[in-house]
Amino acid sequence: MLKTIVRKELQENLYSYRFPLFAIICILLVPLGLYVNNLNYIKSVRDYNEQMRLADEAVASIKMQDVMAGNVSIKGFRPPSLLSIISQGFESALPRFYVFSPDGYMPGESSSGEASILSVQGKIDFVFLIQMVLSLVGLLFASDVIAGEKESGTLRAMLSNSLPRDTILVGKITGGFLALWFPFIIAFVLGVVLLLVRAFPLFVGDTPARVLSVFLAASLFMLIYFAIGSMISSSSSKTRTSLIVILLVWVSFQLVIPRVSDMIADVIYPIRTETQVSLEKSLLAKSVDTETSRELGRQYVLIYGNEDSSGRGDNPTPQDAKWDAVKKEIESNARERKAQQVKQIDDAYGREKRIRQNIATNLSLLSPSAAFARLLADVCGTGEIARRKYDEAVRDHGRALDVSLFSRAKRTVIALPSGKTSLRFSIQPIDVKALPKFTIAPASLAEAFKEDWASLLSLAFWLIAPFAAAYVRFLKYDVR
Amino acid sequence: MAKQVSMLKADDLSKRYEDGVLAVDHLNLGIRPGEVYCLLGANGAGKTTTINLFLNFIPPTTGTCYIKGIDVTKDPLEAKKYVSFVSENVMLYGNFTARQNLEFFAKLGGKQNLAKEQYYQVMRRVSLQEKAFEQRVKTFSKGMRQKLGISIAIIKDAPAVLLDEPTAGLDPKAAEEFLEILGELKNEGKAILMSTHDIFRAKEIGDRVGIMKEGRLVMERTREELQYEDLVKIYIDYMKSEPLTA
Repeated sequence: MLKTIVRKELQENLYSYRFPLFAIICILLVPLGLYVNNLNYIKSVRDYNEQMRLADEAVASIKMQDVMAGNVSIKGFRPPSLLSIISQGFESALPRFYVFSPDGYMPGESSSGEASILSVQGKIDFVFLIQMVLSLVGLLFASDVIAGEKESGTLRAMLSNSLPRDTILVGKITGGFLALWFPFIIAFVLGVVLLLVRAFPLFVGDTPARVLSVFLAASLFMLIYFAIGSMISSSSSKTRTSLIVILLVWVSFQLVIPRVSDMIADVIYPIRTETQVSLEKSLLAKSVDTETSRELGRQYVLIYGNEDSSGRGDNPTPQDAKWDAVKKEIESNARERKAQQVKQIDDAYGREKRIRQNIATNLSLLSPSAAFARLLADVCGTGEIARRKYDEAVRDHGRALDVSLFSRAKRTVIALPSGKTSLRFSIQPIDVKALPKFTIAPASLAEAFKEDWASLLSLAFWLIAPFAAAYVRFLKYDVR
Repeated sequence: MAKQVSMLKADDLSKRYEDGVLAVDHLNLGIRPGEVYCLLGANGAGKTTTINLFLNFIPPTTGTCYIKGIDVTKDPLEAKKYVSFVSENVMLYGNFTARQNLEFFAKLGGKQNLAKEQYYQVMRRVSLQEKAFEQRVKTFSKGMRQKLGISIAIIKDAPAVLLDEPTAGLDPKAAEEFLEILGELKNEGKAILMSTHDIFRAKEIGDRVGIMKEGRLVMERTREELQYEDLVKIYIDYMKSEPLTA
């Protein structure tokens, strides 16, 4: 009996005008979106390679005097994410590179700087299509799944037979969803074939597993919206009422909740910008350097007795040995203090960002769309995890460069009590070829699922709750 | 001859809706196989509610409906195996052809794997035009839809048939054809309960005619009794009489 209802539901959808319309939209937009984003990805990779080549050349041409003068800065570039063709996530919002210098690191421009004004409305990627277009279509397909039968009276005709109501409900939802799912499968397969034809590296590493996860998550997402639509439909006696409620729900889930969550997080937990934090660190470094110079000046006068002594002559004196020891201790203490305070700033900022992010994320998870977008961005390596890994990589690289490059050339500034300054240079050998390369540790697929448990929970809730509600409503429905 | 058991039976049946309206008031009714029972009454008299109660579309407030001796409330799925239903506006899928509609409802009625020709035969029996068999139902006239509706009832081959104002809106020829088919079903031994406003046709086809007013069965006559009485006058008298409840 279930098969009969599923088949009827499929047939009914196939004969309707909305099915070919949806199939055309799906088959056009999904492969087109993947194709265009693949072109963008190829361009990004080309740009990245060229920038990396230029950065390597710049590193190779680093001169000792530049290091000593503190004029060296090194750029660390973020490679484009392979699956950004599916989910843009933070891809265009994150800085394409960071500039590392003796004063710390500063973010470079983001690729969204090159985007057209139209991208303000959101770029069409696969996730956008599923999230915005297919969710709405899913709801619209479900709008009359029960209400339509109530309105036309066919539900009375069906229920006059020896047919359990749950069979009718399950059959109708299954059939309706399959009518929605089949065009999507065709569109997805076409998109994958198109990527393979374009020599997209689809079988590299865990990419196949990620693509499969995307497909399954997208299917689940469509089912969720179909279930929500069915719930609304089973609670309405007219398709028109069902449609109005559906549109309100869609607007809330797609546009209101995700944006309001971010706004609420901004209001209840405002945080500093990255540039502000970089400036703060830079000021701190300068303040520590100034204090160190003054302390060195005081100690210099104490050891040598006057400011005019040039210190170390041809024959080292006991004062020279004492000065070396004191200088080493002061500089070492200053370095430690600076590192500790910078770490405190970084940690505090990291905490701020995490708290703000958690508030926004947890609020946004009230919407299945936000949960889906978050999960898919992480699966595609363009989400929150990627952003965090990028931040960590920048911090680690900054420290590594400090050890291997910036701290090798020491400029000791001695601020004498009289106000004069004395500049002393000391340098340790630098092997530019051995300088650390900027790399970002990739997040595994398992990590994405593990970290996004809340998104998965939200999706599970939105799958089960509407089905349960539709079931209860339909079982209790008095046919008149 | 042993007295036949009622195929359709309402036993002290009442239905009060949530808004307090008493739609059916202690109704007792029994329809035997091969009998046509016509239920007359004004709009809101409780005719459709009675049919809805027999189909377990709504639960009764008190009393019980039986189909082939099965309590409809207790075992609705078993009871509905033995009943077919045709409504005033036959509910069909407009984008499906007549045959596809028939096939779908036949399957729901438990008739699986019938050949296309078997569906055609049933549609021929109700005099549906041959060219309409594979036409989409949304192009059908009301008469054609009614014929298809009765085809669905025929193909299910249930021993009880419930008809909710089936001739409403039909032209005289279509209504006559419809009653002919009903006569055939009666001769096949089906127990038929038909709610209608059509007094003339009720007298013509009904073995018994009941008049409902404010949920109560206020009058019942057999075909024999009606040979000597004017049903129209009785009906109008009942409709004009004082309300039953304050």
